[in-house]
Amino acid sequence: MAGVAGSTRQRSRIAPYLMILPAMAYLGVFYVVPFFSLLRTSLSEMVGSIYLPTLSFSWNFGNYARALGDYREQILRSFGYALTATVLCLLLAFPLAYVIAFKAGRFKNLLLGLVILPFFVTFLIRTIAWKTILADDGWVVDALGTVGLLPSEGRLLSTSWAVIGGLTYNWIIFMILPLYVSLEKIDSRLLEASRDLYAGNRRMFGKVILPLALPGVLAGSLLVFIPSVGDFINADYLGSTETTMIGNVIQTQFLVVKDYPVAAALSFVLMALILAGVLLYTRALGTEDLV
Amino acid sequence: MADVDPRAIARLTSRRRFIGGGAATAAALILGPSVLASCSSDTTSTSGQSAAPSAPADDGAAATGTLRVSNWPLYMADGFVAAFQTATGLTVDYKEDFNDNEEWFAKNKEPLSRKQDIGADLVVPTQFMAARLAGLGWLNPISEARWTNRGNLRTDLMDNKADPGRKFSAPYLSGMVGLAYNKAATGRDITTIDDLWDPAFKGKISLFSDMQDGLGMLMMSQGASPEDPSLESVQKAIDLVRENKDKGQIRRFTGNDYADDLAAGNIVVAQAYSGDVVQLQKDNPDLDFVVPESGGTTFLDTMVIPYTTQNQKAAEEWINFIYDRANYAKLVAFTRYVPVLSDMTAELNKIDPELANNPLINPPAETLAKLKAWAPLTDEQTSEFNKAYAAVTGG
Repeated sequence: MAGVAGSTRQRSRIAPYLMILPAMAYLGVFYVVPFFSLLRTSLSEMVGSIYLPTLSFSWNFGNYARALGDYREQILRSFGYALTATVLCLLLAFPLAYVIAFKAGRFKNLLLGLVILPFFVTFLIRTIAWKTILADDGWVVDALGTVGLLPSEGRLLSTSWAVIGGLTYNWIIFMILPLYVSLEKIDSRLLEASRDLYAGNRRMFGKVILPLALPGVLAGSLLVFIPSVGDFINADYLGSTETTMIGNVIQTQFLVVKDYPVAAALSFVLMALILAGVLLYTRALGTEDLV
Repeated sequence: MADVDPRAIARLTSRRRFIGGGAATAAALILGPSVLASCSSDTTSTSGQSAAPSAPADDGAAATGTLRVSNWPLYMADGFVAAFQTATGLTVDYKEDFNDNEEWFAKNKEPLSRKQDIGADLVVPTQFMAARLAGLGWLNPISEARWTNRGNLRTDLMDNKADPGRKFSAPYLSGMVGLAYNKAATGRDITTIDDLWDPAFKGKISLFSDMQDGLGMLMMSQGASPEDPSLESVQKAIDLVRENKDKGQIRRFTGNDYADDLAAGNIVVAQAYSGDVVQLQKDNPDLDFVVPESGGTTFLDTMVIPYTTQNQKAAEEWINFIYDRANYAKLVAFTRYVPVLSDMTAELNKIDPELANNPLINPPAETLAKLKAWAPLTDEQTSEFNKAYAAVTGG
């Protein structure tokens, strides 16, 4: 008897580990190994022919000095764009998610479907479509020009606003869905209770809705901010020579210049900065238990 | 003419450069570090080798079996492959999977360095890449006995520094790099490089991000030549680009995607490839292509046989078939690039007299005289020049 019970207990103790094994193996092969390989590359030197170079590991921190020295502008610009896009996403997505969660009634699923619908079209095509909409000879530029709302360049396409707009447009779904999920979970009786306690709209929002929606805000911001910082498609298609982001630099370094160590160092700098930003952000929102 | 609109497809997969944001690039970025690192760790043994391999012994018999061709997208005429199969009895496995020279090289250098089959018996890299492959000893010589139409090649291409006497590479198609502009938008003819910097076109100019295509004509306007490049002459051209980039004159650095911006009116003067402009003109007759007065560059794609080929004789048969003027005229009519064979006027006239009269397809001697080709660059030059130009285009 005791033996049987013991083995059952033993099995149930091993079971969770067995269940996470595939995921761990996956992460090990596709994340941990490349991670250290990248780290190693970033501290290496390239020797030999440029066509068949050999990476020789040499604790070469000079790669980091070059990455930070030569591309500070692009790094700062990427964080600026991503931050602006995240704030814009939040401002646009919150009312939308709120309406879908509380006011949509039987149209809820339809509206959610409409939110997701554009994302059935591939990322690249969606981005390139904006080139047509924002074209210099297009009606949007015409209309904005008439009311004097064009950026200083006198155009929309190939400006920083087009890039930020592209980032906002492409990633906003990752803000809407987490916000919707956290808003939808709010018990409507809590809202009634706050009314009973004479809370006005603003107070109810500040004291009840927003705190309860914070997990969604946090998750949404991270899901928008992180891919935006490293994005290079929007800057490539919607930007100009003055809007290069760090993703474009890394792409060029890897594929054109083929300076793998500097490209790897740039990737690491980017990763470290994002990680630091995310830690500060989660600490500030005080929601360690939510992520 | 074929009724496929090649431009529609070209937007997604350009001949000269696979769109920077394509899935392949994305995958390369994600997988890049580890793949590249692991690739590069064990290839030391082959670097620097330059011994030319000798072709497999030719028994003199006719070619048989299957030929695997890897070419650029939209670089073939309709019915051409079928005609070849009928004429020779060979089977062709034709793939349009050659999107970008450097990308192709990055993908295939590992198997080639180990002399493993790369799934193609004949590929069509640009001249500089063919020279690189020959230098690494990865190409088989093309048998002159089987390449009987070899004499049809333009003489200026036969005596070429990149491959004197055309031992390893058979030119396929050529093209001009010049300036394309929208007459309706510029309101005047564009003739010189200085016209690019006209303040009236501020933010409406695009340059190629490819180092050779982008800088060649600028160097020529400064009195230097891509036939004899030095870091100084390249840097001088780059400084010119930087100066105008800082002024906001240059809107974008592009691959083939300048075509859309030009058609949409976002760009009024662009560095451009002649073949693209011929196609764009069909939709927009206001577009014009010009080789700047100080000169432009020409690029040349060449057919080569990797030393891992499984069917040397069939590959040679293919090259020879293409070098027949009547066959070749069909190719030019479809792709609209510049012929590498001499005296094509008669054959082009048979298909469509407009082709022979089009100065972009059949350039007059004075245009050809203004064109120069980049000298084959050394490893160090490629690396230095690319790095220097990327400092402006990528940042």
